Amino acid sequence: MGSKAAAITSPVPVTWYPTLAIFMLAIGLIVSASFFIYEATSSRRNRSLAKELTTGAVASFFLGFGSLFMLLASGVYV
Amino acid sequence: MARSTAMKAAGLILALLIFTFFSLAASSSNNQIQILNAERRIDLSSHIVKVFLTLKVENVGTSPASEIFLAFPPSQADQLALVKAQAAIGKKKKKSYVHLDVNPTQLPDAPNGTKYFSISLLNPLSSGETATLEVLYILTHSLEPFPAEISQLESQLVYFRDSALMLSPYHIKQQTTFIKTPSTKVESFTRVEPTKFAGRELKYGPYEDRPPYSFSPVIVHLENNSPFAVVEELLREVEISHWGNLQITEHYKLVHAGARHKGVFSRVDYQSRASVKGASSFKHLLASLPPRVHSVYYRDEIGNISSSHLRTDYRKSELEIEPRYPLFGGWKATFVIGYGLPLEDFLFESPDGKRYLNFSFGCPLAQTVVNKLTIKVVLPEGSKDPSAAVPYPVEQRLETKYSYLDVVGRTVLVLEKKNVVPEHITPFQVYYTFKPIFMLAEPLMLASVYFLFFMACVAYLQIDISIRK
Repeated sequence: MGSKAAAITSPVPVTWYPTLAIFMLAIGLIVSASFFIYEATSSRRNRSLAKELTTGAVASFFLGFGSLFMLLASGVYV
Repeated sequence: MARSTAMKAAGLILALLIFTFFSLAASSSNNQIQILNAERRIDLSSHIVKVFLTLKVENVGTSPASEIFLAFPPSQADQLALVKAQAAIGKKKKKSYVHLDVNPTQLPDAPNGTKYFSISLLNPLSSGETATLEVLYILTHSLEPFPAEISQLESQLVYFRDSALMLSPYHIKQQTTFIKTPSTKVESFTRVEPTKFAGRELKYGPYEDRPPYSFSPVIVHLENNSPFAVVEELLREVEISHWGNLQITEHYKLVHAGARHKGVFSRVDYQSRASVKGASSFKHLLASLPPRVHSVYYRDEIGNISSSHLRTDYRKSELEIEPRYPLFGGWKATFVIGYGLPLEDFLFESPDGKRYLNFSFGCPLAQTVVNKLTIKVVLPEGSKDPSAAVPYPVEQRLETKYSYLDVVGRTVLVLEKKNVVPEHITPFQVYYTFKPIFMLAEPLMLASVYFLFFMACVAYLQIDISIRK
């Protein structure tokens, strides 16, 4: 084999998985809460689609990555 | 005129000489090599028969020889699991061993279906030179239980059939065979003078000056109570996840391949004196796993089997498992062992940019023969160009498996081999290409599902479905 070959590891250290999962899910749930509050408190005429889309996108980004890290932290290595 | 006919005659004679030389060289390679001394040590202590040959060969022909042939009778060749050869270089204290390639071959004039293996020498042996070769070959399923059925109280006796004279295509000047038995109890053995049996060693020889292909069948009836653990089928699945884990799942179909158990099984007798009442049975199995193993489970169709012990070390882990019942002759046990390993111990990057998995081929259970071994390496989604580098001839094929968060499926490389023994445990590599950007596919898939949910909420709240304005 020659010289020592480079070992491939995960892009994120494995010991961070539970911490990252909790923080990302917490932020994702807070942003999705703000999304639903905005939906509930504004009337149909005052709603701005741009604000809805950005809040939804940010919430789904954090929730998506948060649930991935939650799956990895519980041992389901996807 | 006379000169041209003379030249023609000379040319003809020359051609004839060259032809006879080549034909002699091709067909009488057997006359070139002579074995000066052959010592064969057969180890019958477990159900896997190990034979160590030390051959001192001499080239008595005129042309250099680059290969030495080993001959096996056809029944033995079917049970051959492994043939390894090495050459000794240097003398006494500076002795070192060099591995030699051994390949199965066929010779044109094989008597009675003899099978051959050819050892390729590093440097061709020139005329008059001698060389010392050491050969190890392993036979499985070669000990035939006789009587074929025993009760719980009896000890297991087996037949071992071989020849007192080594089968060889060469003339052997002197040869001796030593057979090591597991206990001092040998019921009977065929006598081919000179034969001597003392303690645990049966010695056939020395025999002088035997012609090629001389064969003298002998049968040794001995007691062998070592565990005859045979795995009929082993399926090992190695799932690679680039997020940092290697998940191994092994499905075993274990059987006791010794003398079949007849009559009743008395648990009282077994637990009182197991060494007498149930001498040939076994209840423990030891699996050697790599170090830093986690999440080990041992279960079967009923559920978890709690009778197991895991001892970890920084160099290796040992899993000692105890099936739900001790195994007597003919009894089977089916179970699943699974465990996880850190990715960085096994996945590496080769200089040409490909990734490769370096894993060990074979069965982790000690002292077991596997009749059919299937290793499935499940590569992550998005991997391309899988190829395997295995030191033994195996059958390869590709499959697809659908696992967590899969869209197109994962490529699976399947390797199959029959008749695997513990000496086959060596590393093998599986190469593939993978672009790291594909790892983002999984979180983005999850995020897009959540995004679709939010957009569905927005759409629901925008749509006016009231009948009355």
